[in-house]
Order: sequence, then C-alpha cells, then structure tokens
Amino acid sequence: MTASAPEMLVGASSDFLKRFSPFNRMEPEALAFLTQRAVLAFHARGSEVLTPEMGQARHFYIIQRGKIQSRQTGATAVTEYASMTMGPGECFPIGAVSASRPSTNAYIAVEDSFCFQISADDFMQLMQMSPVFHLFCTQYIASLLNQSRQQLQTTFSQRAAEQQTMTTPLLQLVKKKPIFVSPDTATRSALEKMAESRIGCMVVADPEGHPLGILTQSDLLPRLLLPAFDLSRPISDVMTANPHQLPGTASAYDAALEMATHGIRHLLVIDSEGRLQGVVSERDLFSLQRISLRQIRAGIESANDIDALQRASKDIRQLALNLIAQGIGSEQLTQFISALNDALTRRIIVLAQAHHDLYGVDYAWVAFGSEGRHEQTLSTDQDNGIIWICPEFDQVGPLRARLVAFAAEVNKHLAACGFPLCKGNIMASNPELCLTLDEWRNRFGSWIREPDPQALLNASIFFDFRVIHGNERLGDQLRAWLNKTTKSNSAFQRMMAGNALQVVPPLGRIRDFVVDDDGTIDLKKSGARLFVDVARILALRTGIESSSTVYRLRQAAVKMGVPPEEVAAIIDGFHFIQLLRLRSQHLETEHGSPSDNKINPDTLNELDRRILKEAFRQARKLQLRLKLDYQL
Amino acid sequence: MNWLAKLIAGRSDGGIQDPAVAEALEQWRALEVADPTRPHFETRYTVLNTEATGLNLEQDSLLAVAAIAIDEGQIAPSQSYYAPLTPEPVVTLANLLSFCGKGPVIAFNAAFNRSMLERAFETHLGFVPELLWLDLYVLLPALFPERIDHPARLADWMNSFGIETFQRHHALGDAWAIAQLALAANSRALSSAYGSARALADMERMRRQLRRQS
Repeated sequence: MTASAPEMLVGASSDFLKRFSPFNRMEPEALAFLTQRAVLAFHARGSEVLTPEMGQARHFYIIQRGKIQSRQTGATAVTEYASMTMGPGECFPIGAVSASRPSTNAYIAVEDSFCFQISADDFMQLMQMSPVFHLFCTQYIASLLNQSRQQLQTTFSQRAAEQQTMTTPLLQLVKKKPIFVSPDTATRSALEKMAESRIGCMVVADPEGHPLGILTQSDLLPRLLLPAFDLSRPISDVMTANPHQLPGTASAYDAALEMATHGIRHLLVIDSEGRLQGVVSERDLFSLQRISLRQIRAGIESANDIDALQRASKDIRQLALNLIAQGIGSEQLTQFISALNDALTRRIIVLAQAHHDLYGVDYAWVAFGSEGRHEQTLSTDQDNGIIWICPEFDQVGPLRARLVAFAAEVNKHLAACGFPLCKGNIMASNPELCLTLDEWRNRFGSWIREPDPQALLNASIFFDFRVIHGNERLGDQLRAWLNKTTKSNSAFQRMMAGNALQVVPPLGRIRDFVVDDDGTIDLKKSGARLFVDVARILALRTGIESSSTVYRLRQAAVKMGVPPEEVAAIIDGFHFIQLLRLRSQHLETEHGSPSDNKINPDTLNELDRRILKEAFRQARKLQLRLKLDYQL
Repeated sequence: MNWLAKLIAGRSDGGIQDPAVAEALEQWRALEVADPTRPHFETRYTVLNTEATGLNLEQDSLLAVAAIAIDEGQIAPSQSYYAPLTPEPVVTLANLLSFCGKGPVIAFNAAFNRSMLERAFETHLGFVPELLWLDLYVLLPALFPERIDHPARLADWMNSFGIETFQRHHALGDAWAIAQLALAANSRALSSAYGSARALADMERMRRQLRRQS
C-alpha cells in the first residue's frame, strides 16, 4: 500500500512550510503535529481574516499564498500609518493567540489569499512541544536577529578560517624550497636564476646553506641598472650582507615586527643550525593579518609616522571583518571601530601637534555626525571641528590661523589613513568650524532661533558632537548649554520633528519594500537616519548628554516611561540596519568596489528580508510616536 | 474478482461478497441527500478526481480515484481519500462513496471524470449513485471572468491563482489543486449570489446551453 491521501497532503503542506522560518528548523514531530492539524481556507481580496471585533483570537494563521495586511485599529490617523503587508510563510496573530485575547490589529486580505490555520488550543500545544516554535513566538524579533547573526557568521567564518593567526610559526609559511647561490656566482647567472624561479629575491649562502647576503628586486634599479654594474662580477659585490633572519620557530608576528622595524620586505628563515630554510615576504604575512584589538591599539599608540598609522588603519578594517566572523553584534562592532578610529585620530593629532606651536591653547578636537555618535561604519568621511577658548590677552585671529594650520595637517593625515576628506568641508581646517566656545554657542543659537531647512540640516550633523581629543570640559559646557536652550524651545523641537518625518520607512503597501529606481534601498538615508533623527530630538527634549543613538533612545525611554521591551525592539531594529550596512560595506570592500549604503532587498535571503521589514516597522513606530507627540 | 465472475454474479447487489462493503453501501443508501440549497459554508463538498490510462472514454480505463472534502470552507488533510482501482475495485469504490456521502461533488472537466466513475460504479457496484456534479471547467470562467473568460486548462487556472501542487497528473495531486480552486470559487460564488450548490449547478447548466447555442 502506498502513502495514504492524508499523508500525501500533510507531506505537501510540510514541504511548503519548510521553506520558511521557523518551520524549517522545527522538530519533525512538531512539524507533523502542525501539518496534520492545519486546515487551508481561502480569503477573497478585501475580506477580513481577523479583526478585534471578532473577540478572542481562536486561530493561528500561516499565509500560504497571497498577501494579508495588518492594520492597527484605533484613531483613524493611526490606522493609515501603522499598517504592514505580510506574505507567504508569515504568521499571525502571535501575541493575541498566545495570550487568549482579541487581536489588536485587523487582518485584511489585500489579494486573493490562502491561509493555513490551526486552533488556539493546537497552537498552545505546539508551543509546548516545540522549543523552536516557542522561541520563535516569545522572542519574535530577537530570535530572528540571532539567526541572522548566525547566518552572517557562517558567511564570514569560512573566510576567517582561511586566515591563520599571527602566531603561526614562520616555517609553516615557507612555501618554496630554499633557493640560493654561492658568493662567487656571476651576478648575471644569479639574476637568470631569479627570473627562472620567479622569486623576488636571491639569497647568497655558503655551501652549508648559511646565509651571507641577499639581493632583492628593489635593489636592481639603484645598484645594478643605474650605476651600469658589470653583471660578470660576483654577486657578493652587490648583495646586502648580513641579511635579517629569524628562526623557523619564530611567529609571523615576530616577522611582521622585524619587517616593520627595519623597513624590509623579505626575511630569511633559518633552522637551529643557522641554515637557510626559506624566505618569507611581507606579502605572505599580509594574507594572515588576524591582528587583535590590543595589537592594533599598541601599534597605533607607538606609531611615529603616517606610514605606520596607515597600516594600523588597514588592520582596523581587517579586525572588523574578523569580529563580524566571530558573530559580534553591530553595537559592539561599531564601538570597536569607533574606539580604534578615535585612537588613530588622537595619535595623528599628537604627531601633528609636534609641528605646531599650540602650547597653552585650551582646545578640544570634536567629531560630528556618525563619528560623533560612535556609529562609524567603514565608509565614513571625516566630519570634525575644534572648540577653543581664547585667552584674555590673546587675539582671536592669529590664534585661529595657527589652529587652522594645525587642523589642516590633521585632516590631510586622516585622509591618508582612510578617512576621506569631507566633500562638504565639514572639517576643523575650515575656519568656520574652528570656533571658540562662545562662537559655537552663537552659531547653534542662530540655528535654533531661525530653524530654516539649512539650519535643521546643520543641527542634524553638528548637534551630534563628541570630544575626541583635548579638553573634554569644553564639549560638556557646549552640550549643557545646548540641552538647556533647546529643551525650553518646543517650536524648534517641532521643526526638527517635522524635518525628521520627511523621510518615511521604505515599506510598501502591497510590495514589501519601496525601492529606488535602481532597485535598491539606501540604508543610511532611509534606514539608519530614521532612528538617528528621532533619537536626537528625544535627547534634546529630555536633556540627555550622550551623542549615541542607542544611549539616547534607552535613556529617553526611561525618562518618558516607555516600556523597556518596546525600546529594546526599536534598538534591535536599528542594530540590524547597521549590521546590514557593515556587511554590505565589508563584502564590497573585499571586491574592491567603493562601499556605499545601498542594498538590493531581492539579494537578501528570506529571513533577512523579514527582519529588515520588522526593523522598518520599528522605525515607523518610532516616527509615529514623534508624530503624535508633536501633533504633526 | 475478474470480469467473468462479475458477469456471472450479475448486476445486482448480490454480487457484493464482502460483508463490510455491503454494510458500507447499505449505510450510504440510508443517508439523506444533502440539501443543495444550503449555503456553501454549511455544505460538505467533495472534490473528485480520477486517474485513467488515457483520455479516451471508449478505450481507456480507470486507474485511481482521489477525493478531498471541503467542509465549512476549509480543507483538512485528514479529510481526503486516494486509492488505486486494483486489486479491489469494489472496496475502493465503496469507500469513495462513503467518503462523498450524498453531498455535492466538484470536479474539473466533470464530463470525463463522471463518465469514468459512473462506468466503474456500474461495473463493480452494480449501480450508478446519483450525485450533484459541479464542473469547475465551466464555473471558473463564469466566476472569474477577469482572470480567464473562457474554459481553460487546469494548468492555466493554477497559474492564474499561483496555486502549486506536489504532483501534477496524479489523481490526488491534481485534486489538491482543484480543491484550492474550489475554495476560491465558492468564496466568489457566495459574493455573486450563487450561494448554494443548487445555484451553481443552475448557472453551470445555463452556461452550457449558451455555449451550445453560440
């Protein structure tokens, strides 16, 4: 006897459900329980599947085909705003059915749709028998986020696994058998051997293999070609004697240090008897730079020139990649990047100070925008300025000129270390942004008094300032003054709110996402910004000193009595968008194309799409709150 | 039971040897005919589909039957039936009848399915049960003219609704798709004032007459 009809139909349903989370991870017996009990029903376009008026939710629905829109009921203004469309694999109403209460949303079919449904009792039983489903329901958004992080981990762990650590013994890095010539070899034949074996340097050694000297490709031009060296002379006349060498047991890190210290690109690896084992090049080491936070930090703090800092800046990117591979969340990740970039900036400032006479000048180097918020991703240009105090007996003009000259050097070096110059000239070397504390107050004050569009735009960049180096008290004083001034000015807050609401989350009524002409979503402009702008207003209103979006949201929530789980969901949404930005920047950087913040939702997997939708919904919730607060 | 045995047994109930089958048929006979004027959601429909050796009524023979119930506008996997005709056509057909009861049945291309089934009922059970047949082949273009306004193949309708099935050209696989179409059809029929099986049957008859005239 073949499979019975019910078995075949159950199989068809379970094959369908397995295409979606959480059903794809569900325990087999739980999935069987679900599919045996799930009945299929049709909902014509425009019909109500479930509304609050229907009373206690009796069924749990899983969309099989079509689209169901969930609309928040209540005041009409809210209804129109807070709706979302769900597609196949999505389910509802998780909250209402598990709490045995009426649904708070109305669920309407916006297309001819088919839904599986199970009774509330079966839903409860399913929750009990399936830990996966239980987790899914209780930690709706949190569990989705975790999964996505795990997926992200698998993407990167493969790449990370290919990288060895900097503790690898040098002998393991040697790929070729040692090639060397004797000191009396004619230079020409040594060069011929180099070309033939395709190597970047030739080692000269005695018959037992003890290294005596080295000749590298970069020596050819200055030592052989330009002086028209006679190639019949022995190689010992032109080699570098006493080449740098390390035992095969030394680590890659030792080799990197040796190379960095002596400015060389090749290092000889020898055995315990001092015989040549092979050559390690800078390039060999470059491929396994898995450098720790501490190492980079130490590297930055001990750097004495821009070259060393440039290397550190590359290390920071590499580290970020490794941290993503380890599954670190976007909050910690951006903080790490931020901390290291701060250290890098400080070192550049300290090095530049040596060339400029700033003795006794009270100043603070501040960062604006995303850097000011501790939210730097990997493709942030510099946004910085200086706050300073003019001593009574000094003149403002000449002192400003000195600070600007100093700032110009810092800006240039920051650019050399991978922070592109700001196209809008928001840089400390701009005299307009190298202001005394009083000048900053006046500047901010004029924006607050006359909030025209440009002033509001400025506020969104400059109000997120943070002291990176120098006298922190200057920043504190400016912040305290700013909070006091804006807190009492609700008209200005309202203008800021109106400005923030001009960009709406790219959620479609029918389609999942509203995309730009090129099919992408700008995760900065129509993603992160939605959260950042609202957080800034909440911070000004409640007098919060932090410039970080997450801290602002958390602290404002406490002051305004917003439930912690509500704000946690909002923050999760923000983090997810930041994570997607970092991820796409990383993947793009690896391919060598310039990183931007655009993402094509079609290239995301099903799970990420759904979380992204949820993140945008959270942004919409946040905006809605602002809208109600300021009656916009 | 081979054809000779059947011939000898004659076309009466006396030919049913298996007491369980005889009992099932007896129960089926005792059922009251479902009121065809009841609204759809109070009616239990059975979607019937067959699998034959081909599409020629004269030459081809029935291989398997499948049925999926639509009760209160819902399809439950437990409410389904599938069986091949061999080795026990009598049991298979008797079970099918028990499954259908005396409610209305829905098929796609009913003429073929109905002829196939009725001939089998006649041959193996000795009688042709009277059932109210509805044909989605005719009804769907009448109910959803905005999608397809003429009788079309099952594949076209599945495509139009985005309906999938686990196995095409399998009696139950196709029945699963037809049943989903039937859900949609009943829902649309309700809002178009064809609220009962009787109303749908009347509409179907009129459509057939119209087509014959044109």
